Amino acid sequence: MTQGKRYVILGLVVLVMGAARLPLEQGLSVELSEKGLVPPKLKIDTGDKLGQTFSAVSLGGLRTLVATFFNIRAFSYFTEQKWSEVAETYNIIVDLAPHTRYYWDSGSWHQSYNAASYYLYQSNLPAMRRKLAWKESILTGRNFLERGIRNNPNDPILRQSLGYLLADPNKILAFGDTGKAFEESYEAYWSAVQTGKARGFAKRAALYSLARVPGREEEALELALEIRSEMPVLPPPTVLGLLYSLRYFADPNQSVLELVDDVFPTREIGYEVLGNVWLRSRDRFPVHGSAKALVLLENHFDIPEAQSILRRELALPMDPNDYF
Amino acid sequence: MNPLLMINAFTAHLGRISVIARHAFTQLVRMKVFYFLAFFAIILIGSNFFNLPQHEGPEAAGVNILRSIKSWSLGAMTLFSVVLSIVATALLLPKDVEDRTLYTILAKPVPRIDYLAGKLLGVLLLIFVSLLVMDLLMTGILQVRTNMVLSKQMAMAEARGWSVSDIAGLKADILAQGPTFSLQGAVLAVFLRATVIASMSLLISTFSSSTLFTTIVSFLIYFCGHFQADARAIYLSSEVGTDVGWVSQAIALLVSLILPDFQLFNVIDSVIEGQLMPLVIFGKLILVGLFYFSFYLIASWFVFAKKEF
Repeated sequence: MTQGKRYVILGLVVLVMGAARLPLEQGLSVELSEKGLVPPKLKIDTGDKLGQTFSAVSLGGLRTLVATFFNIRAFSYFTEQKWSEVAETYNIIVDLAPHTRYYWDSGSWHQSYNAASYYLYQSNLPAMRRKLAWKESILTGRNFLERGIRNNPNDPILRQSLGYLLADPNKILAFGDTGKAFEESYEAYWSAVQTGKARGFAKRAALYSLARVPGREEEALELALEIRSEMPVLPPPTVLGLLYSLRYFADPNQSVLELVDDVFPTREIGYEVLGNVWLRSRDRFPVHGSAKALVLLENHFDIPEAQSILRRELALPMDPNDYF
Repeated sequence: MNPLLMINAFTAHLGRISVIARHAFTQLVRMKVFYFLAFFAIILIGSNFFNLPQHEGPEAAGVNILRSIKSWSLGAMTLFSVVLSIVATALLLPKDVEDRTLYTILAKPVPRIDYLAGKLLGVLLLIFVSLLVMDLLMTGILQVRTNMVLSKQMAMAEARGWSVSDIAGLKADILAQGPTFSLQGAVLAVFLRATVIASMSLLISTFSSSTLFTTIVSFLIYFCGHFQADARAIYLSSEVGTDVGWVSQAIALLVSLILPDFQLFNVIDSVIEGQLMPLVIFGKLILVGLFYFSFYLIASWFVFAKKEF
């Protein structure tokens, strides 16, 4: 057999073997994708932005390394307060390393907190422009976090971060309807709890958000009682405050002092907790029956009316119109 | 045929392959290939102490450095193994021709398949030893660093009064970024990919006329092999009536049939990000690597068997 014939036979064998392995490789490829072991393909615009680095990235095993370098670039843009560049760089980073929680969390944080604060205090911009940029930055951060959750559905931390952002008193007005924002915050926290990997406070945070959703007080009370029964020691003050408020809401005709005695270990603690919840008006926690309880407790402790908590000035809820 | 004779013949084959493999290994070691390990150690130690400018909350403190160590290490391992598997394999046959060692070997009763298998295994042994040393260095440094991060994080969690289950969750999160079984799987994937590349380069070198040609073509195939899965997807999607012309379909099919799928070994990036690699995936990747190794070796022998020198 001549060498030429051998090459022809080899060519044919390569094609036949290729046809034999094609379905097997396709099956394995799909399996790896489903298990999240093969990173998704880079988007075309990411490839364009990567330029020459694209070749290195394509060669597998270097994507996370290149993402590290882009993270340094994003940090430089952050120090220069170039927010659109920060956002663009993070889009590249998460395309390279879509399963690294840190990049989704930081990318969102830069937009929702750093960029938003920057525009809040950027006095050389017209008020309307600042307000719009403030709102857009927060929404960009939220969208980024939601993309992160879609890419990492089992990650509780990203869900917690979304829950925190949606219930943040300094950001909530950017989302329009506050009740809806608290409801979405609750859903984010609750979905974190349901992953089974969330930290203990996620359930409490879910309660804090649910308690602030108008019309869902009954569910919030059930959740508060569940949390109370699960805690071997005294629950945090906010849980106690909510327990009082939600129980009062369920039955406004009950004896206030009896309810205080039932919820709080002592009346002193009850007075302190209810007073704090009353003063933290920016957090928008429900205060059903709090004023009534505070009056009765102040009488009980002989606190002069001039020193009453109820006479103190409340911190107003943050309204963007006050800043712009 | 007498089974005893078959065993003897097989043992003789193994003996010859082993001698040639050891010779090829020694030949490559004398080319000062292991100097790369010193660079690797510097990169690794550097990545351990290099404080990247980035934001870290108290709950993330230190975890990013673990990912950084893995990124740098596996990136260096990838580059080293790819370059070495192509260049070393491309050098083997032309160097033996140039030194006239090939004539001496082939003049003896050494089957050409034994010669090729020995040479290829020599290269693979070199890559294996190098990766093993790099893996040990990486695992060692990662273990030390993970322990440091862990003790810092545990102290933070206890100071904040975290519950036992929360502390256990935090510990599991940190340990997932340390030296894991999946990380060893990623190193194995690096080795398997190098095996496929070296075997493919061996096939090319059996009909190429120069080292440079083999090197360039192998790099090109390696690069294009990362897009084989895309070509295959285009071909398969066109089967269900999408708008792909027959020329594109034919090209996609040809690429899918000829090139190996290097994307399959790209589990490395996901493992660096903390994904777990199931044992069954290890097994399947090993089978893919063995398939390419055997196929390219037999194909190389088929071309090389009657080649005149």
